[in-house]
Amino acid sequence: MGDEQLTAEVKTLVSKVIKIPEEKIDVNVNLFTDLGVDSLMGVEIFATLDKKYRLDVPEEKLKDINTLNDIIVLVRELLSKRT
Amino acid sequence: MIENDTSSYWRRLLDLDKPVPPGILDKYRSWHRLSRSLFYAMVDIFLRLYCPEKVLGIENLPDKPPYIIAPNHSSTLDYLTVAWAMGKRKEELYVLATSFFYDNPWARFCFKVAANAVRINTEVDFFSALGIAAKILGAGKAIYIHPEGLRTIDGKLLPFHPGVGVLAVETGVPLVPVHISGTWKSLPTGRIFPRPCPITVSIGEPIKMAPYIEKKKSVQAYDVYKEATEELRNRILALSQ
Repeated sequence: MGDEQLTAEVKTLVSKVIKIPEEKIDVNVNLFTDLGVDSLMGVEIFATLDKKYRLDVPEEKLKDINTLNDIIVLVRELLSKRT
Repeated sequence: MIENDTSSYWRRLLDLDKPVPPGILDKYRSWHRLSRSLFYAMVDIFLRLYCPEKVLGIENLPDKPPYIIAPNHSSTLDYLTVAWAMGKRKEELYVLATSFFYDNPWARFCFKVAANAVRINTEVDFFSALGIAAKILGAGKAIYIHPEGLRTIDGKLLPFHPGVGVLAVETGVPLVPVHISGTWKSLPTGRIFPRPCPITVSIGEPIKMAPYIEKKKSVQAYDVYKEATEELRNRILALSQ
């Protein structure tokens, strides 16, 4: 999967979970402090990624996540480990 | 069934599919029990004479645990007023004590005398704390939680954290809404000695989780947890009227 496709997919998925339109989510904006995402919503994002990509997303990684870009990097890393 | 039903991840997070490990509940020595009897004898005098307490809706308490008691939080007196209202059934209740308090020997002693306290460390991992609460419920006990997380400063109900919704929906245990009035006037944050003031503890009908569990099949799990939490808040607000 290409970087652009992955970015678009993850953005769509995050947008659906946090109920904020995709165009308002910049890849570098802080999801927690700027967009009001709480830690449980963060888990729901992880749970949705887990389901969609069949990844074993460790919840400990949640504390390392601040932006959409961090999520994309994490998914890419987990996908590359799987292959 | 929604394509991205995420409840399996949440269940894994709370370790719900694993058996309840032995030793999850703290051991209490006989002197804790004796101290507790003496302590509640004093609480009894306090809540009869100094801050006379009225209890409404005690019949709404589920016949037996597991259940989650969820009152509003406005004072350090709150737990005592609910425990007193429950009489002998207070022994069913477990409270989660953060390591900040539990690791202090004097505070731990006070916790153990007043309640069945279980140590959690929310600073390290909030979800393992939720998992411990789930295990206590799995062991057939009741949990006492303040969904606001903090005491109110101005007497108004704060927003609720959805963790209580996660716990209730994923364990399928009923949520018992409780409204406590009078404790904020008697002993608000920052005050050391309570003022004499009547207290009322109103216990509402339990919120059953079956409709929410059903709903989770068609709606994102997080939204269902939020909805259950909001319903709890609305019921507590209604009890305050």
